[in-house]
Amino acid sequence: MQKTLYITSNGRLRRKDNTLYFETENEKRSIDIENVEQIHIFGEVDLNTKALNYISQYGIILHFYNYYGFYAGSFMPRKKNVSGDVVVRQALHYLDREKRIFLAYCFVESAVYHMMRNLRERKEAEAFLNAIDDEWENGKFNISSISELMGLEGRVRNIYYSSFNQFLPEDFYMEKREKRPPTNPINALISFGNSLIYSTVLTEIYHTQLDPSISFLHEPSEKRFSLSLDISEIFKPLVVDTVIFKLLNNHQLSLEHFDEDLNYCYLNQEGRKIFIKELQSKLETTVRHRQLNRNVSYKGFIRLECYKLIKHFIGDQVYSPLKAWW
Amino acid sequence: MFVIVTYDINEKRVNKVRKILKKYFTWVQNSVFEGEITLGKLEKCKRELLSVIEKDEDSVYFYEMEYKLVCNKKVLGQEKNYDSIII
Repeated sequence: MQKTLYITSNGRLRRKDNTLYFETENEKRSIDIENVEQIHIFGEVDLNTKALNYISQYGIILHFYNYYGFYAGSFMPRKKNVSGDVVVRQALHYLDREKRIFLAYCFVESAVYHMMRNLRERKEAEAFLNAIDDEWENGKFNISSISELMGLEGRVRNIYYSSFNQFLPEDFYMEKREKRPPTNPINALISFGNSLIYSTVLTEIYHTQLDPSISFLHEPSEKRFSLSLDISEIFKPLVVDTVIFKLLNNHQLSLEHFDEDLNYCYLNQEGRKIFIKELQSKLETTVRHRQLNRNVSYKGFIRLECYKLIKHFIGDQVYSPLKAWW
Repeated sequence: MFVIVTYDINEKRVNKVRKILKKYFTWVQNSVFEGEITLGKLEKCKRELLSVIEKDEDSVYFYEMEYKLVCNKKVLGQEKNYDSIII
């Protein structure tokens, strides 16, 4: 499998000896460029066009994050898989109200399914599980617009997040989900994880013929690659939340891994490393796929989700979102 | 697959060989590289090497294993951790 690289220290990416070097003040490391698929950059990194040109030859995507670990943008080499046909059909599905709601509903349905899956095995969260079930079962038949669907999703998510207090360590008590900026450790973790999964999904979309800016659940006018927000909905509870539970309940992450200031809170460098390592090993975990009859990693499932969407757009097979069966 | 590469090359060409191997593998010791690689990329790497080395003077050994676990690597003394994905 192609590697994902995370750069958390400060230094310079440079093209030398026909490969890529990462140089810090006291260390020089060569990167085996042939095996790299994407690089996430968190530190202060210098690079020049010579390096960028070389990186683009290998189709490597660079994701940049700002000081606080929020996604800032990506460097995408020239897209190799383009298909006007698929893009036009994708846009048609956005324009048709019925078709758009169908797809948006699929994403939310799968997200809710995975949220419930996370809670199902926890005794403490049973009441919340029932509450989510009620809210969802009652709400899902009365959806006539995207905004109503978003509202329902928001309500479900609120119940879901409030259940976290029941089974996470006391240090990580969460009153409510807060973003921009996150005010307490658990919000910081969720935000950081979500921005990582967001760019991972973007990488996978990039390797397919889909256009990342035409989305269905989120409005495409948000100046972002919103299709990856849509697909991330499925994988946020499935990947990010399970990683958070594992790290917190095993006390691998504690309050000392967070920098807290007056009214915000972020993971520090040490904490980021722990989190990234766990997330990466989660993404590489494989599951036996029932139809394909081979092992597929969580990252592979993201790609499969894209292929399923393409099949849906070209009228080959109706899209049914991933629902973890294992 | 997991591959260990060792080489013994005439000084005139050793840098060329090292630079090629750096693209595909992680450097672990003087004249030793290792890393995970696909079959296609391994062939590509071998082809590149063949265009550089003199067949009757130089040699490059490839130890090819199907899985990394088969290798059962043990280290005495210092282990350089050059293949971690977090820098």
